[in-house]
Amino acid sequence: MATTYDAIIVGGGHNGLTCAAYLAKAGRKVLLLERRDILGGATVSEEITPGFTFSSCSYVVSLLRPQIIRDLELSKHGLEILPLDWTFSPFEDGTSLLRGPDGEMNRRNIARFSPRDAERYPLFGQAMSELGRLVKPIVEAPALDPSKLNLSTLIELLRLRKHFRGLGEDAIAANLKMMTMSAYDFLSEWFESDRLIGPMSVSGIIGTFLGVRSPGTAYVLLHHYMGEIDGAFRAWGLQKGGTGQVALAIARSARALGVEIKTGCPVARILMSGDEARGVVLENGDEYRAKVVVSGADPHRTFLGMVGEDRLDGDFARQIKRFKMRGSSGKVNLALDSLPEFPGLAVDSPALKGDITIAPSVDFLERAYDDAKYGRFSRQPFMDCVIPSLTDPSVAPPGKHVMSIFVQYAPYKLKEGPADWENQREAFGDAVIDTLARFSPGIKDRILHRHVLTPWDLEQTYGLTEGNIFHGELSLEQLAFMRPVARWARYKTPVRNLWLCGSGAHPGGGIMAAPGQLCASTMLKARAV
Amino acid sequence: MSGAIVIGAGHNGLVAGLSLARAGRAVTIVEKRGVVGGLCAATEIHPGYRVPGLLHDTTGVRRPVVAALGLSRYGLQFEDEAPSVLAAHSQHKGVVLHANAARSRDELEALHKGDGDGYAAWRAFLSRVRGFVARVLNERPPQMKPSSLAELWKLGVTGLALRRLGNADMLELLRVAPMCAADWLHEYFNDPLPSAALAAPAVTGAFLGPWAAGSAASVLLYECVRGAEVKGGPAALIESLREAFEAAGGTIRLEAEVARILVARGAVSGVQLADGSTLEAPLVLATCDPKRALLELLEPGALPLRVEEQIGVVRMRGTTAKVNLALDGQLAFRGREGERHARAVVADDVDDIERAFDAVKYRGCSKKPHLDVSVPSVRDASLAPSGKDVVSILAHFVPHDLEGGWSDAAREGFGDAVVEVLESVAPGTKGLIRAREVLGPADIEARYGLSGGHIHHGEHALDQLLFMRPTPALARYATPIAGLYLGGSGSHPSGGVTCQPGALAAQAILEG
Repeated sequence: MATTYDAIIVGGGHNGLTCAAYLAKAGRKVLLLERRDILGGATVSEEITPGFTFSSCSYVVSLLRPQIIRDLELSKHGLEILPLDWTFSPFEDGTSLLRGPDGEMNRRNIARFSPRDAERYPLFGQAMSELGRLVKPIVEAPALDPSKLNLSTLIELLRLRKHFRGLGEDAIAANLKMMTMSAYDFLSEWFESDRLIGPMSVSGIIGTFLGVRSPGTAYVLLHHYMGEIDGAFRAWGLQKGGTGQVALAIARSARALGVEIKTGCPVARILMSGDEARGVVLENGDEYRAKVVVSGADPHRTFLGMVGEDRLDGDFARQIKRFKMRGSSGKVNLALDSLPEFPGLAVDSPALKGDITIAPSVDFLERAYDDAKYGRFSRQPFMDCVIPSLTDPSVAPPGKHVMSIFVQYAPYKLKEGPADWENQREAFGDAVIDTLARFSPGIKDRILHRHVLTPWDLEQTYGLTEGNIFHGELSLEQLAFMRPVARWARYKTPVRNLWLCGSGAHPGGGIMAAPGQLCASTMLKARAV
Repeated sequence: MSGAIVIGAGHNGLVAGLSLARAGRAVTIVEKRGVVGGLCAATEIHPGYRVPGLLHDTTGVRRPVVAALGLSRYGLQFEDEAPSVLAAHSQHKGVVLHANAARSRDELEALHKGDGDGYAAWRAFLSRVRGFVARVLNERPPQMKPSSLAELWKLGVTGLALRRLGNADMLELLRVAPMCAADWLHEYFNDPLPSAALAAPAVTGAFLGPWAAGSAASVLLYECVRGAEVKGGPAALIESLREAFEAAGGTIRLEAEVARILVARGAVSGVQLADGSTLEAPLVLATCDPKRALLELLEPGALPLRVEEQIGVVRMRGTTAKVNLALDGQLAFRGREGERHARAVVADDVDDIERAFDAVKYRGCSKKPHLDVSVPSVRDASLAPSGKDVVSILAHFVPHDLEGGWSDAAREGFGDAVVEVLESVAPGTKGLIRAREVLGPADIEARYGLSGGHIHHGEHALDQLLFMRPTPALARYATPIAGLYLGGSGSHPSGGVTCQPGALAAQAILEG
C-alpha cells in the first residue's frame, strides 16, 4: 500500500483507457484497474470458439474523435480501421436495396423505388453533414451548464455564438427539428419510399428504447452521421483484428505514457474518508489510494454500487436512480462454415463486406418495438449484420467466417423479470436466426457456433447496468448538461475527488472516447489532479 | 376605415374579429358552415339532446384574453374552480383527481400508499412553473434570430423569468419538457391509474402515445393553462363572443365558403367565395388550418416555393374520433352510483393508451380505444331531457387514412368499440343509448374543413410548437403575402379552446 497514485481509473474500457492516457501524458501517475482479465470493456474482441474472434459487443467504429487518434498516436499503436462503405437492405419480397460509395449506383438503385428519392438522396447526405458540423463543437467540449452563469460559461457561450452566427433561420430550424423529431418523421420530410426510409431510419434507434416513430430518434440518427474516420463524414469502419484492438491500441499508448494497468482487479467500492474519495477497495480486500478516483463505469454502478446510496446526497441519489438505462439490444455472434447468401446479391459482391440491415419496412421496425414496449423480445427483430472476416480474414480460420448481428429489441426488463433471460436466451437466439433465414435462406446450415448476448448478459458479463450499451439512454432529457444529472454534467461529481469518464457523461456512448478525453482535460484544467 | 376579412367563425376567428372591430376595422367574418362557433358550435344529436360540437373542454380559455375583451359584459361566466376528473377503471371505482391535491389525498392513498403525496408533489411543481409557462403562452413566440434590440430584450426577459424559477425548478422544467409522459408520471405514482389519467391530455391531437418523448410537454402545457370551465361550456363562450362582435359593428356571413384568397402584386386583396362573388379587403386573417389557408386557398405559386414546402410537411394526421351519445338515463360509473361526474378519462394504465395508439401506426382503429369523456348535462341540465344525460367523447386512436378507407361499417365498428370501453367502466350504459353519433377523422375533415381531420390544426409535437408553429417563417402570424395573416390553432400557442392564437394574431396586425 506504499505507492500512492495521482489518479486511479476504474474500468479498462475505451473511455477509461483514454482518460488514463491523457492524464499520464500530462505527467500524472496513473493506475488503471480492470475487473475482467481482458481489457476493453464493451470494446472487446474475444475468441469465443477456437479460431473465431468475435467483437462481442461493439462491432463498428466511426465516432472515435480524430484528435484523440492524433494525440495518443493510436495509428502507431495498432489502430487500423478498414472502411465499411456498403449497406445492403433485403426486403420480404426478395428485392433489395444496395447503397455504396458510388453515387451513380445509389441513384439507380433508389430510383427503382422512387425517382424522386433518388434525386434527393445526395442532398440529404449533404444536409446531414452540415448539421453534423453544426453539432460538432457541442460534442467536442464539456456541456454548458445553464444553472451557472459565470464568466467561463459566458466565454463558452460566445464561442458557440461565433460558431452559429451566419446561420440562417432554416438551418437553426433544421437543427431544432433534428433534436426533437422522430427519425421517421424527419426522413419523411425528405423521402417518400418506405424502402428507403425503413433502412435509413434504423440509425435513429440503435441503442435506444424508442421506435423509429418516437420523437428524439432523429437526433440519434445525426449522432450516427457524425462518425468520421480520417476526417470523412459518415464513414464507418471495422478495426483490423476486431473492435477490441481499438481498446488495446489505446492501452498500448497509455502504457507507453506510463499508465500502470492491472487486469483481473474488480473494484468492490470506492474508499471514502468522510465525503471524500481516497482510493478503491478491490473485491479481494486490496486497497489502492490516490488523490482522485475516476470511474469509467456507468453512473448507476458508480454511485449506487461503488459509492453506495447511503454516502450520497439524497437528492443526487434520487436523480441518479431516475437516470434511465433501459437496455434494449442484444447481440448474436455466429461462426459460419461458409458465406451466407442473399437473393439478389452475387456471392462475390463487395456489398457483403458492408452492413446488412434487416429493416424491410417502417411497420416491421415498429412491430419489433411494440413487442419490447410490453416486455417481450421482438418476435421479428431488427438486425444490423456485418461479416468482419471478409474485410480482415485473420478473425476466422481460412474459408470460414464470423458474422456479428446487432439485434433490437431485447428489453432488459422482460415481463417475467430480467433474470428470466436465462430461460429465454435461446428462444431469442432462435427468433433472430429464424428472421434472418427469411432473408438469407440456408443460413441455418452454415452455423458452426452461436453466441447469444442478451441485455442480462451485457450486465452480468460486461458490467453494463440493465444492459444499456450507452451507459444511459440517449434521450433528450439525458443529454448535454443533463447527462447524467443536471449540475453534475461536467465529469465532476458531488463526491469529492471522484470523477466520471464513461459514456454516462457528455457526450454519451459509442466508441467516441470523447467522455474520457473531456474528463481528463476538465480535471487538468481544474487542477484537480 | 379599412376593411378586414376573417376566415372562420370559430372561437379564434371571433376573438380576432372582435379585437380588430374594436380597433376600428370594418370586419366581416366569413364562415363556411351555417352556424357560428366552428369546433365549439353545439349540435343536436337527438331531439332534446344537445352536445358541444367537437371540443368540449373550456378549461384552457385564457382569462387575460377574455378579460381584455370585456366578455363578462356579454354574459361570459366561469365556474368557481378547476373541475375534477374521474380516473375511471374497468375493475374498481377509480379515483377522482381534484385540482386541489389535498382533496384527492385520501382516495389516492387508499389506491396505493404514497400516491397522495406524489400527486401533491406533482401539483406543487406545476404550480411553481405555471407562471412561467403561462407567460410563454400569453406572448407572441420569440424570433429565432432576434432582429431588433426590442426582440432581443424580450428574449432576455423571458430567459430571466426562467432563471427566476430557481435552479432546481428551471433544470427540472428543462428536463421534463422533452420526456415522455409515462416516465415523468411514473416518477410520482406507484399505482398505474393516476399516471394514465394524467397522461391522457398528451395524446389529444398528437400522433404519439404516452411512451413517446415529448408527450410530457403536452401534459405540462395542458396543466399549466388549466383553470375553471366556462359556465355553459363552449357554446356559451361562442355566444358571448358573437354578441360582443356584433355589438362592435362586425358582420358574420354564414354559408360563405371561401374558394380563393385573392392576391395582387404580392399583397392580399380579398377573398372569392364559392358562389363566385368576391369580397375586397387589404387585410385577410385566416383562422382555418395553415395547409388549407396557404396551400388550398392561395393560387399555387403565390408563396415562395420554400414556404410552400415547409407548410407541406407540417404533420396533421388526425387520430381523434368524436362519439356523442344520447342516454335514456344518467351515466353512472362503476362503484360511483349516485355521484355525478362531468369529466372522466378511461384507461387502466399507460400501456392501455399506448396500445390504443399502436393501432394507428398500421392504419387501423384501436380495438380498445382510450376515452376522454365529458357529460355536459351534469353542469347544464338544459342540454338533455330531465333526468337524462348527453355524453360527448373524444376517442383515441383512429387513423385518417384507414386501411381500406372509411365506410359506414368502419365508423360504426369503432363506435361499438367505444361503447364497449365505456360499458367496462360504467356498466349498464349500453342499454341506455337512444342515439349515437360517430365522427371519424374523415367526417371531421368534411364537416369542419380540418386538413387531415386534425382537431388542433397541426399535431402537438416539440418541433411544431412555439416559434416552429406552424413553420418558423410563419410563426409570427404574418405571411410572406402582405396583409395576409394566420390566426387559428395552427399558430402559437396551438390547439384547444384557448382563444389565444386569435388574440395574438390580432395583436400582430394592430401592433405590427
